[in-house]
Amino acid sequence: MGKVRLWDAPVRLFHWSVVALFGALWWSGENGRIDLHKTIGLVMLGLVVFRVLWGFLGGSTARFGSFVKGPGTVLAYLRASREGKAPTIVGHNPLGGWSVLVLLGLLALQVGLGLIAQDTDAVASGPLNHFVSYDTGDAAGEAHEVVFNILLLFVALHVAAVLLYLFVKRDNLIHPMLSGHKAFTQAVEQPTFAPAWRLILSVILAATFAGWIALGAPFSLEQAKQAWQAPPPSAEESYM
Amino acid sequence: MKKHIDLALAALAASGTVVSAIAATPAETVAARQANFKQLGRAMKAIGEELKKPAPDLGVIRTSAQSLNQAAGHVGHGFPRGSGPESGVKTEALAAIWQRPADFQGAARNLVVKARDLQTAAGSGDLNRIRTAFPAVGGACKGCHDNFRERH
Repeated sequence: MGKVRLWDAPVRLFHWSVVALFGALWWSGENGRIDLHKTIGLVMLGLVVFRVLWGFLGGSTARFGSFVKGPGTVLAYLRASREGKAPTIVGHNPLGGWSVLVLLGLLALQVGLGLIAQDTDAVASGPLNHFVSYDTGDAAGEAHEVVFNILLLFVALHVAAVLLYLFVKRDNLIHPMLSGHKAFTQAVEQPTFAPAWRLILSVILAATFAGWIALGAPFSLEQAKQAWQAPPPSAEESYM
Repeated sequence: MKKHIDLALAALAASGTVVSAIAATPAETVAARQANFKQLGRAMKAIGEELKKPAPDLGVIRTSAQSLNQAAGHVGHGFPRGSGPESGVKTEALAAIWQRPADFQGAARNLVVKARDLQTAAGSGDLNRIRTAFPAVGGACKGCHDNFRERH
């Protein structure tokens, strides 16, 4: 009964960081600040990798296993909600779980496309562009623009759903994502939280991975050193 | 009679060929200059990748620098009047190219100079010279794109 600690700090910090980085990536992409765009994109990569790890190592409400349900469960939940008989869920509901998966999957796809993409003259290119042909890099650049529009669509859908909960269902989902706490009208099971060492491990793994990708995924120390010292295609700061 | 028609058709066909060789349609012009930019891009990608390797292949750098130099020479001629966005053909070329032709031609000449420097550096086989000349070409690409290509 009463107040429950619903979302752990890593989940909340991830969520609001993605909001901020998404805006910064949009702005830097539109304004030709490609160096900045690449740097922020690599931070986004680290965040996405962290969230995937946290989906296995995090607390009960952060785990994919707790909120990813089959289509049958989703349909049953929707039917029950329409009749006003939906069970109280501590965490993502069956439909909301899919919203998390789709948004995270699209972000991962978008970051992946950016990593291999290149501009027409190859002055601007992602850190993994050397693994693909010129034509593949070109196509990835085009797809990067298409997937961005799909992402925008799903972000709009997500915001619309949250507003629908706020104004129609009178259920404020924004506050718990900020404070971590949510008040329930009936007794509910308390979520469990992950110990600090799992958080430290996940952060180190995600940051190391993003750093390795930033260097072009080298397989030897010599390659890493060379990639670090190689001249950029353009001496200028911004591009595109 | 039939022979006359054949002759007339042949003449028509021949004149058609000549006309199209002189004045390509805007779509053909745009396609040709985009293919030229892709040639530049392929060469840039190939050289950039060699320079990231512990032991860059000078042969690849020389071939690419030559291809880049060749394509660079065509950029200034790739934008005849009527091949801009007003033609209806999908293009990222900005109207500024035709509004400030002197600036545009200057930027195109800058690319020619920088591409020639890179080819000379590649010919010398001196990696340090290549490492200096390469970003200068990128800077020339950028110098033009900042003012004359649509941002996306």
